[in-house]
Parts: sequence; structure tokens; C-alpha cells
Amino acid sequence: MEIPEPLIATLVAATQEVFETMVFKPVALDADADGPRSAGPHIVATIAFAGYRCGFVSFCSAIDTAQEIAGAMLGLEPSAVNGQVTDAIGEIANMIAGTVRTRMAEVEPPWAISVPTVTIGSDFATIYMADVARAVRVFNMDGHSIAVELILHKPL
Amino acid sequence: MRILVVDDSSTMRRIIINTLNKLGHKECHEAGNGREAVERLTTTTVDMVITDWNMPEMTGVEFIRALRSNDTTKHLPVLMVTTNASQDDIVEAMRAGVNSYVVKPFTPDTIKEKIEASMKS
Repeated sequence: MEIPEPLIATLVAATQEVFETMVFKPVALDADADGPRSAGPHIVATIAFAGYRCGFVSFCSAIDTAQEIAGAMLGLEPSAVNGQVTDAIGEIANMIAGTVRTRMAEVEPPWAISVPTVTIGSDFATIYMADVARAVRVFNMDGHSIAVELILHKPL
Repeated sequence: MRILVVDDSSTMRRIIINTLNKLGHKECHEAGNGREAVERLTTTTVDMVITDWNMPEMTGVEFIRALRSNDTTKHLPVLMVTTNASQDDIVEAMRAGVNSYVVKPFTPDTIKEKIEASMKS
């Protein structure tokens, strides 16, 4: 199974729109970067979707980057963000997945999306079944690396 | 204007309230879901409600139906701010009694314009 190119383009556009309008920090696609999960504590927020298409949209960044994002969203200094990082990053994933869902619903039957699941930790990986298709796009935000991942599997 | 902001995400409540404050709406109240909002409205008078759709305990659409079935709140302007933006979603929200609709992510200008539209409708 392959991920259709328009779906990936929509994911990239949705990520850029969410960061521009809600985080007030534009992000640029960084095709050469490896992504943020190289070392240290990270946060991953995942939204599942089902319907015409089934899979997941995940957002991933280092914890200090997540703190910057949450601060920008809340109008606070990153150091003043206390306990709101998981909620903020969950909302980022929700808005990215929701925007993709809305845009794709203009050209194909709609999907339903779940509430966010947020994982924080170090040295963890997600293992997928063999028959899924996966696309990862890495972005640069003020020198910080963030990644958005799309997993697509066969409709249930 | 006194506005009740209903969203299960504390981040989104803060973003909306920051936006409202910048637009000059300084008296904002908060609730984490529809049930909390119904309870809040028994003790707090507001001029308008801004609500999310997907929330635990009582969704935004269930909350709007509850508002519209109560004599004291049935005319309250309601603006829905949500990621649910398919045509079917909007029709369902309108049928429940929402006055206007904003899709996340949004800009302050969109919120301003939709608040004005909600107050007029």
C-alpha cells in the first residue's frame, strides 16, 4: 500500500497552517533532517482516524521544543509553562489531523478522528505491522526539529 | 461582553480567552465540558457561549441542545470552535442550534467576525 501524494501534501500544508496561525511560529519543511527522535526526552501525540481511510497522524518533538510550542500557544515564556505541555501538543496533533480530515473530505468520503493520545519518554520506538504505509515529514521551527508522521493501513 | 468558553483542552481555552481579551472581551468564564458549562450557567450570566464539539461527559452538540431546551438559555448566541468541519458536521451543529461556526486553526480576525455574526443571528 502506498500513501497518495495529495494526502502527504495535505499533511504538510495542515502542519504549516497550524503552526502559523496557532503557534505563531512558521515551520519549514526540512527534507535533509533525520527528525527529532535522536536522543533525550521526547513527546509524541497521536490521533487515530477511521472511515474511508484508517491510520494515525502523529506529532513528535523534543520536550524542550514542546515547551517552546506550548509557551507560544499560551502567550507565556517557555519556562513559565507548567503542566500544560501534554495538552498543548495533543491539541497540535488534533488540529493537524482535523485539518487533514476536513481537506480530504472535500475530495473523498470523510473519516472520523479520535481524541489525542500523548506519550512522553526517552529511548522508545513504535513498531507497526508490516502491511502499513508510513510517511514522515520533518520541519524546522526556529532551529528546532519537529516531525509529523502519517500511518495508513487497510480500512477496517 | 461576558463570554463562557467551553473546551476540554485547557490550552485551547487559554488561546480563545487570550484572543477574546485582545478583542476587548475581558470578562470570560471557563468550563471543561458541556455538563460543567450547564452547571456554570445556573450561577453565571453570560452574553454568549463559545464551545468545542468533541468533549468528554457532554459534547458541544449535546450542550447546545441542552441550552436550547432551557427557557433561560435558549436565546443565548453560541459560536462553535472545532476541528469537525465536514459539511455533515456543520449541518448537524446548525440543526442543534449553533449560531456560527469556526474551524480550528483560526485567526483572531475570524473569531471577531464570527462573534459579530453570532450576535446578529
